[in-house]
Amino acid sequence: MALLLRTFARQGVCISRPHYSLLYRHAAPMGTTAKDEMNKFWSKNARLNRPMSPHITIYNWSVPMVMSITHRGTGVGLSGAISAFALAALVLPESYPHYLDLIHSLSVGPFLIGLAKFGIAFPVSYHTLNGIRHLWWDMGKGFKIPEVYRTGYTVIGLSIIASIAVALL
Amino acid sequence: MTPEGLRIFRLLTAQQLHPGNCGDLGWLIIMAAIVSLSSVCRRGVKPLFYQSTLLARPLVVPHKYQEQPYLLTAKIHASQALHAGSGSKAASLHWTAERVLSILLLAMGPAAYFSPSPMVDYSLAAALTLHGHWGIGQVLTDYVHGDTKIKMTNAGLFLLSTVTFAGLCYFNYNDVGICKAIALLWSK
Repeated sequence: MALLLRTFARQGVCISRPHYSLLYRHAAPMGTTAKDEMNKFWSKNARLNRPMSPHITIYNWSVPMVMSITHRGTGVGLSGAISAFALAALVLPESYPHYLDLIHSLSVGPFLIGLAKFGIAFPVSYHTLNGIRHLWWDMGKGFKIPEVYRTGYTVIGLSIIASIAVALL
Repeated sequence: MTPEGLRIFRLLTAQQLHPGNCGDLGWLIIMAAIVSLSSVCRRGVKPLFYQSTLLARPLVVPHKYQEQPYLLTAKIHASQALHAGSGSKAASLHWTAERVLSILLLAMGPAAYFSPSPMVDYSLAAALTLHGHWGIGQVLTDYVHGDTKIKMTNAGLFLLSTVTFAGLCYFNYNDVGICKAIALLWSK
């Protein structure tokens, strides 16, 4: 990084000449793509059987980190649930109301039904609300740390409230 | 800032541009210094172009840097935007399409609630499946490495998404449909 800055400082920035593929005089574009470099890195380290450095086991978890992986987790979970539902629709012989009645006949009790509804509603509402937060970031807004935390807590709070409200419907 | 300047800015800050980084102001000052310096050591650059836009805090370059015996060569990956026009925009378009689909899916929520219909059912089936397909695709790109493994898992994902879409359409056609299904589930 410092190297890059010094090359800039030395001779000025030729940004205004887009028809040059070499943008600055003392910069050499690498012959490989980033993807190639990545593959080389992984294959070399796998071949040498190197252990992976601790990362998630040692790094202090922060609210934004947890929210991010939860967003991914809920996304993967919801996707899996939808796929499972679709597969079931193709494989199972009876119709949907039939299986619903089957579950109903188990007479689980209102509290557990409410809990199940919350269990379905929460991933959906969290992923949706955090998704909106992601789109907000994609527009370039809300990157300052206090804003990240503020929007984050808002998403968590609204998710819980919305899930409870929907579960009580 | 000019479009080109913005692209260089993005290149410089590429590895630091994730939510939570407040170093942008620092980069801006450094950028301003570099740009004003570039007008000082004119080497076929249009200096006046950049002069007015940023705070002029000229960086004093130590003499040491002016007489390096060897060439400082920065090894770079020329990014898509900076490249001389060649190189595809596929990745960029994919990114945009993902966001557009997300917004569409958001709109389908109220549509499904307030005016359920077969059209909403099938649109929901398509949007959900595609959103999930692209999402899982990103997860695979993050965690799966090695050319053959990437190909295999992506093929598996494609199969899964196809089956999912088929199943949802089958459900919409032969059974109650997605909107009704959720309504029935909740009425229990």
